[in-house]
Amino acid sequence: MAHIRLENLVKRFGKQTAVDSLSLEIKDKEFIALLGPSGCGKTTIMNMISGLLQPDSGKIYFDGIEVNDVPPGKRGVGFMFQNYAVFTHMTVYENISFGLEVQKIDRADIDRHVREVTKLLQIKHLLSMKASKLSINDMQKVALARSMITQPRIFLLDEPLSNLDAALRSIMRAELKRIQQELGQTTVYVTHDQVEAMSLANRIAVMNYAVLQQYDTPHNVYNFPKNLFVANFLGSPTINFFDGYYRNGEFRLKGFNKGRFILSRKNKAALESELTHEKIMLGIRPEHLKLKDTKTDMGEGLNAKVISYEPLGSKVIVYLHPDAEPNIIIKSSMEKGYKPRVGDLKYLEFTENHLYIFNKETTNLVKRFTL
Amino acid sequence: MEKIDTSIQKRKKLATGKSANMKKTTVRHTERFALFLVLPAHFMLFFIVVFPLISSIYLSLTTWAPMTGGGVKWYSAYKFWGGLTNYWNIIRDVDFLKSLLRTLIIVGVVVPIEFFVGLGLAFLFLDNFPGKKIYHSILLTPMMIVPAVVGFIFYMLFQSSGPINALLSGVLFRNVNIAWLQGKFSALISIMVADIWEWTPLMFLILLSGLMALPQDQINAAIVLGASRYQRFKRIIFPLMKPVMIIALIIRGLEAVKIFDVVWLMTSGGPGTSTETISVYMYRQGFKYLNWSWVTACGLIVLILVIIISIYALRPIRREEEKAA
Amino acid sequence: MVQKLYVRILKYALIVILALISFFPVYWTITMAFKPFAEWTSATGKIFWAPNHLTLKNFKDVFPSTTGAFFSPIPESALPPLIHSFVIVVVATIIAMVVGVLAAYGVSRYKKGGQLPFFLLQLRMFPPIAVIIPIMIMWAFLRMIDTWYGMVIIYATVTLPFSTWLMKTFYDDIPRELSEAAVVDGYTDFEAFKKVVLPLAKGGIASTALFVFILNWSDFLIAYIITDKDWATIPVHINKLQTALVGQLYGPKAALALIALIPPVVFGILIQKYLVRGLTFGAIKK
Repeated sequence: MAHIRLENLVKRFGKQTAVDSLSLEIKDKEFIALLGPSGCGKTTIMNMISGLLQPDSGKIYFDGIEVNDVPPGKRGVGFMFQNYAVFTHMTVYENISFGLEVQKIDRADIDRHVREVTKLLQIKHLLSMKASKLSINDMQKVALARSMITQPRIFLLDEPLSNLDAALRSIMRAELKRIQQELGQTTVYVTHDQVEAMSLANRIAVMNYAVLQQYDTPHNVYNFPKNLFVANFLGSPTINFFDGYYRNGEFRLKGFNKGRFILSRKNKAALESELTHEKIMLGIRPEHLKLKDTKTDMGEGLNAKVISYEPLGSKVIVYLHPDAEPNIIIKSSMEKGYKPRVGDLKYLEFTENHLYIFNKETTNLVKRFTL
Repeated sequence: MEKIDTSIQKRKKLATGKSANMKKTTVRHTERFALFLVLPAHFMLFFIVVFPLISSIYLSLTTWAPMTGGGVKWYSAYKFWGGLTNYWNIIRDVDFLKSLLRTLIIVGVVVPIEFFVGLGLAFLFLDNFPGKKIYHSILLTPMMIVPAVVGFIFYMLFQSSGPINALLSGVLFRNVNIAWLQGKFSALISIMVADIWEWTPLMFLILLSGLMALPQDQINAAIVLGASRYQRFKRIIFPLMKPVMIIALIIRGLEAVKIFDVVWLMTSGGPGTSTETISVYMYRQGFKYLNWSWVTACGLIVLILVIIISIYALRPIRREEEKAA
Repeated sequence: MVQKLYVRILKYALIVILALISFFPVYWTITMAFKPFAEWTSATGKIFWAPNHLTLKNFKDVFPSTTGAFFSPIPESALPPLIHSFVIVVVATIIAMVVGVLAAYGVSRYKKGGQLPFFLLQLRMFPPIAVIIPIMIMWAFLRMIDTWYGMVIIYATVTLPFSTWLMKTFYDDIPRELSEAAVVDGYTDFEAFKKVVLPLAKGGIASTALFVFILNWSDFLIAYIITDKDWATIPVHINKLQTALVGQLYGPKAALALIALIPPVVFGILIQKYLVRGLTFGAIKK
């Protein structure tokens, strides 16, 4: 059993707060992703879980037992560093066997374990090579083997795939998932790549500069973002945001001269009770914002000029801006083969039940309409 | 600005004309420039390094001295050709061997102490503590003092009525009145103390940069894998520090063999010859007895010895590097 | 990692002790320099050898006036040697720097003369006395003994390897692309060097110059052999005071030591950061 509970963790470096009162619970055998922009405290959290760093306040529990005072070597944690940190002056074999050697395990047993692990990761042929001479891809596997061999109950991975070439990255993604499912460790995976987080994790913890924004399944984090930050961070291309205000069933959006979007009656009623302010941010993902050549009946004056478009194989991303406002960029994801003309005026069609309404001041989600 | 414009125009003209030629001239131009850069240095080094080196060797093969043969000039030194006589005599000369031994003893005591104290200090400086920068500067001060002045100061410190005795008296609660610079053994110790005081900071400095350059990631990886402090030191820190340690030992070792200033200022090699190091011996031979060819031969012997020792000392390290490669 | 408090206190105490030991001789010299005659050997001087009465007489004694206006136990003034040291060291440093700055660029950018490090290492293994003798003979022949230019040439050459090697490491830190871009824009190699690289290397040049200054100022052996009366430098002058007559005059001697040690110590602290580079021939860069 390896259940992790973080309780109000705080860590400051000088005047800067790296982690601000973080509370998180990770279930046994769960694979969670710590997702956020670079420098938002993810690695600091990992260092605290592993014991390399002491929190300024707050507690860490493994299986209900407080481990704050347990030294890093004794927490049963496996850590894979972002730069792999293989021991450059040792061979691959010595690197991998290190974790068992420090426990003074029998030579023969160590040998057996090393061969098992290297077979699993297909690096058996590299055993006698000096670690500094490995390619990046092999180094990553060695780092993985080195941390796996001690059979830790908790696995911490700090952006393990960010240094690999794209081709290998997707292969290793699948490998990692497979290994984790086979061995059943509780895993915390740090990344700034939301695609990785979405595809690998059972739950994603979205972080923004020391503060936890949302902690939920990939589906929920994507479809029910709690605030502007989360909505913006997940999704590629990023969500469209429209500044505006709401009154009486109508959205007036900035940048669209006299353009307005009229809400359906059912949704207007649903919104009435919850929306207190008039100033809002409207969010809609590109895949839910379609382009039409003729006027739509959901609003008036919601049109934009095509700037450019990117055919990406399975879809086409079209970039537009409202006629009067060249600085507002709108993204629409259309089906493949769509070929607009640059400069054309298109009418925007919002899919109403994928609309997000955010409170402009608190940035929190007010309402997401559903069917 | 104008100057550059015209040169661009000139080049453009050349480009439209014969492009192949232009490439050749720019390459040649660079070659000439590079040569011009290095020439003064080579010139200086040749005349004042290479030439004396060769004349040293030449002299060492003669038995000439300026006073012998009624003041023969140096360019006729070949008249006193001796071949390897000097070398043969030197390695059997008791004074030479004794001073060599003394020097090796001094080096053998001083360098390890400087190394280990410096290493310990370097480890202490890995943590942060109040006033770290100031302590760093203070601890470096000794090695920046002119060596002759160090000898000068320590001469005064080690006087019978001086502060060293006063300190010892205070610490040991008895009256300590050692005549440091007058006793054969104590004079040697005084010199060693002066040298250790002066050069430990150097080892500290070099080893500290080595320690700070260690990849913290690898050390962290070892920590998380459960390695104890001792295991981390033995299997990660020490192997990674080896190159730096070797550099420190070689640099300090080579300099220590040549120790002169401190000795000369404190004891002039005395009392008698009890602190006569190899450099002092050579000085005496060269300027008291004017045995110039003898001295140059001594120098070469010492050089050969040092080379042999360093090769011998470096061999186990070389072998290990090859094994791991 | 958190260590127990007492361990940290112990470590701190050790550092303090070693710092005290490092500083003590300097401290003693400072206090002695200001002590009047009566307190030199009294072994009192109350708290930590601080002088009871401050006096500047020792400093005056070090510079006895030639007109004999006041009596000083020291026969020779330290002023000429001080001037000699400054002149010789500064000129030698300038020469070593100019030649070194140029040569280092050649080595760093154009790989000319890369065998230098090895060569230099061999040189350091040679006892200087043996090498000085042929130079001395040459110098005597050329009538350069006991002259400032004779000394300057030797000093400049001896410190040239240091200036070259240190500057090379500084040049290595400057990206090649900058000078290459200048050349593409129409500058000649020399102009690129002068207008693009040199300004960027200013800090390195200053540090190297100070380092070379320290090395030259600290020399004793060469000056001892090559100079005599006319151009004795400070270390040589200091040695002269080690006679039976003057040897016990701790006050003035301490004052002189203080004067002699200030320039290199001040410069050394200024260039602390680069000392490792210089002393290991660039093998180690922090």
